[in-house]
Amino acid sequence: MTTPAAAPASIGPRRSRGRFLLRRLGWSLLTFWVIVSAVFFLMRLAPGGPFDGERRLPPEVEANLRAAYHLDEPLPLQYLRYLGMLVQGDLGPSFRQKDFTVNELVAGGAPVSLTVGGLALLLAAGFGVAIGTAAGTRAGGSVDRLLMGLSGLGLALPAIVVAPVAVLVFAVLLGWLPAGGTGSAAHYVLPPVALALPFVAAIARLTRGSVAETMSEAHVRTARAKGLPALRILRRHVLPLALLPVVSFLGPAAAALLTGSVVIEQVFELPGIGRYFVQGALNRDYTLVMGVVVVYAALILLFNLLVDLSYARLDPRIRLDA
Amino acid sequence: MLALLLAPAMLFGPAWPAAAQKPPATLLLGNPGEPETLDPQRYNLRLEETILADLFLGLTTFDEHANIVPGAAESWSVSDDGLTWTFTLREGARWSDGAPLTAADFVYAYQRLLAPETAASLAYFMYPLANAEAVNAGRQPAAALGAHAADARTLVLTLEKPYPYLPERLLYPTAYPVPRHVVERYGDAWVKPEHWVSNGAYVLEDWQPQAAVVLARNPHFATPGLDAAAIARVIYQPLSNEQAAYNRYRAGEVHAISSFPAGELPSARRDLADDLRLSPLLSIMYLVFNTRHAPFDDARVREALALAVDRSTLTDKVQRAGHLPSPSFVPALVTNYQPVAEPAADLPRRERLARARELLAAAGYGRDNPLQVTLRYVSGTETKRSNLAIAAFWNDIGVRTRLHQAELKAHFSDLRQGNFAVAMAGWFGESNPEHYLGLWKSDTGDVNYGAFASRRFDAHMAAAAEIADLERRNAVLREAEAIGIADYPAVPLYSVMVRRLVSPALGGWHENPRDAHPARFLYWR
Repeated sequence: MTTPAAAPASIGPRRSRGRFLLRRLGWSLLTFWVIVSAVFFLMRLAPGGPFDGERRLPPEVEANLRAAYHLDEPLPLQYLRYLGMLVQGDLGPSFRQKDFTVNELVAGGAPVSLTVGGLALLLAAGFGVAIGTAAGTRAGGSVDRLLMGLSGLGLALPAIVVAPVAVLVFAVLLGWLPAGGTGSAAHYVLPPVALALPFVAAIARLTRGSVAETMSEAHVRTARAKGLPALRILRRHVLPLALLPVVSFLGPAAAALLTGSVVIEQVFELPGIGRYFVQGALNRDYTLVMGVVVVYAALILLFNLLVDLSYARLDPRIRLDA
Repeated sequence: MLALLLAPAMLFGPAWPAAAQKPPATLLLGNPGEPETLDPQRYNLRLEETILADLFLGLTTFDEHANIVPGAAESWSVSDDGLTWTFTLREGARWSDGAPLTAADFVYAYQRLLAPETAASLAYFMYPLANAEAVNAGRQPAAALGAHAADARTLVLTLEKPYPYLPERLLYPTAYPVPRHVVERYGDAWVKPEHWVSNGAYVLEDWQPQAAVVLARNPHFATPGLDAAAIARVIYQPLSNEQAAYNRYRAGEVHAISSFPAGELPSARRDLADDLRLSPLLSIMYLVFNTRHAPFDDARVREALALAVDRSTLTDKVQRAGHLPSPSFVPALVTNYQPVAEPAADLPRRERLARARELLAAAGYGRDNPLQVTLRYVSGTETKRSNLAIAAFWNDIGVRTRLHQAELKAHFSDLRQGNFAVAMAGWFGESNPEHYLGLWKSDTGDVNYGAFASRRFDAHMAAAAEIADLERRNAVLREAEAIGIADYPAVPLYSVMVRRLVSPALGGWHENPRDAHPARFLYWR
């Protein structure tokens, strides 16, 4: 017998898939341009400027600085200059980190952010599905209630609470793990865990509901009646169906995890790009903020595109040319 | 505690810098943030000064107690009119690549600082040099600058006006030499570790943004008192979050941190008594009135609000961070100078309040027409408590205060543009009265936030600026301070107490009012 999940997905004629991809790409590029433009002009609206420091800034000195960074030009010209550079992959010089270009800073920070985000995604998916399945197959039992109670707690505790407590317990009191910074594998334990926790909980609840529902479906009951082993039923007949909503949740979750380390990077003093986002904004480092926005926006748009495509592959009812 | 700290280091191997390992090869220091540049002529932040003082040696420098002593110059002389300063460089002084350090390197550095295209935000630090301002504005060529090399070891600086505080001004990185032969070869990339050349006790070995600035001992460094730094490697880590810095110190991941939350002071006193270092900093925190508009264009209103403030309650009962109440605008730590306190500083609080109420009534405010003001401050838990206390002091004389908080940039941007009524501000740094009193000169520009203008005060400041003799100059400045403070352009509040944690294993660390601790003076006990 075949389950619906095993049925070949009908994605429509190849031509319409190509058209769909092109259209989605076009929309993504348009969205990207809107984001970049909005952030460009919003940054300029914030009070203060990139050169305000701890000390006095005489007018002639400020004039020298503004000229050096083309800030004395009219705003539309600065905007076009930026777009022109962006097309060539040049994110410009950092206004505040004067010894580095934004490209250098992003290239140095992105691996850290992506490592933390990627590890958190693995943790969230692995533990989330395992916990959800354990609870869903025993729906209504005491194990289910315990696990769901815990995941409710996980959902309710944001990273900004979990992370400092984790540092206090595992770094300061127990001394098992470093309190922050980078340098070894040990530095990459607490940050992904703290980041993943709410997502573990969310995926667990999603999986649990879906597994419990699938368990009561006719084909599962039939399989049971035929005396198939419980694990085999779970693997062959329950999970493929039950994981559909989980997979579609993973798209936005991946984007959120890979970009969501802003708080985590602050707490653990990690040299990722999330910190540049915060510090760049506070310092009015226009080009640095723009650089991080460009990377984040590109990642989020990419994941959205992947999710749209995978929806159609997983669920034959979705037609791409609609 | 030591065993506990060693455990993780053994678990995870040497890659994780374990501060508790013995003997530590590398000194790990927390710095309150990420440097924006290590180019001495383009720098702007105090946290950059800390690192640059390890990398370079100016004409003058600090000793381990932060006294001003000869640095790259072995001696200097001043002409009678105070306008010509002749420095003699040490014999045999070298850059870290072995090239000789010459007077021409200093001339090159100062011309570079003041060239408009360098866009140095602190170029004005060297405006005491003749024609410096004109060169910086592009009105005069670089050669017109008052800095010339008479020979390889003789540097002659000519000044616009007498400036007896020049040796202190030369402590700033803006006055450090840069290696012309490297800067001209690599351009802006000369600051990259692979090209780095400097003349301090250390050189730049590596810089991972947001993670670490790594310094290695400079083999060519030598001064009479000190042939080489005792500690071979120093890593500065940016710890911008005070709580994170405190946690990482307690976890044994750094040997010294530059600050920690005031709320942790009691627990630090209890658990880290040997590590805790408190030292008063040359600084003044103050409230500034915007004298452009009502109500603070009226000196009586300013005086009333100043009288109502109870400094010692603020520092001792509210902040509890050890800050030192200051009744004068020039901090008491400034040397060779006796600051002038606010006229009513010694009156008991009851009399101050009574006088304040009279002044408010005379200015037309009372029970039926209460004075309403907005007090601005930089957001933060500690600052909020302080400003709530000030609002409470003012409530005692019937003034209704609205608090307005903003993040640092927005706050000072508003202050510079005069977009405030009364606000919290601060000024740090030097051990000379002019540094502080200069804020009240009518031609100072936007850091005279409140646009205070007093012809008598300006006249005294101008007169002082012509005097070469330090003692006579400071005497005139003292008269200026007395005139200024009686007009209440500001309410001086307190001098900051720096709270650091320093590993007891580290020797050579002496508290000082500049909070300067060059790594070359440090050693392991």
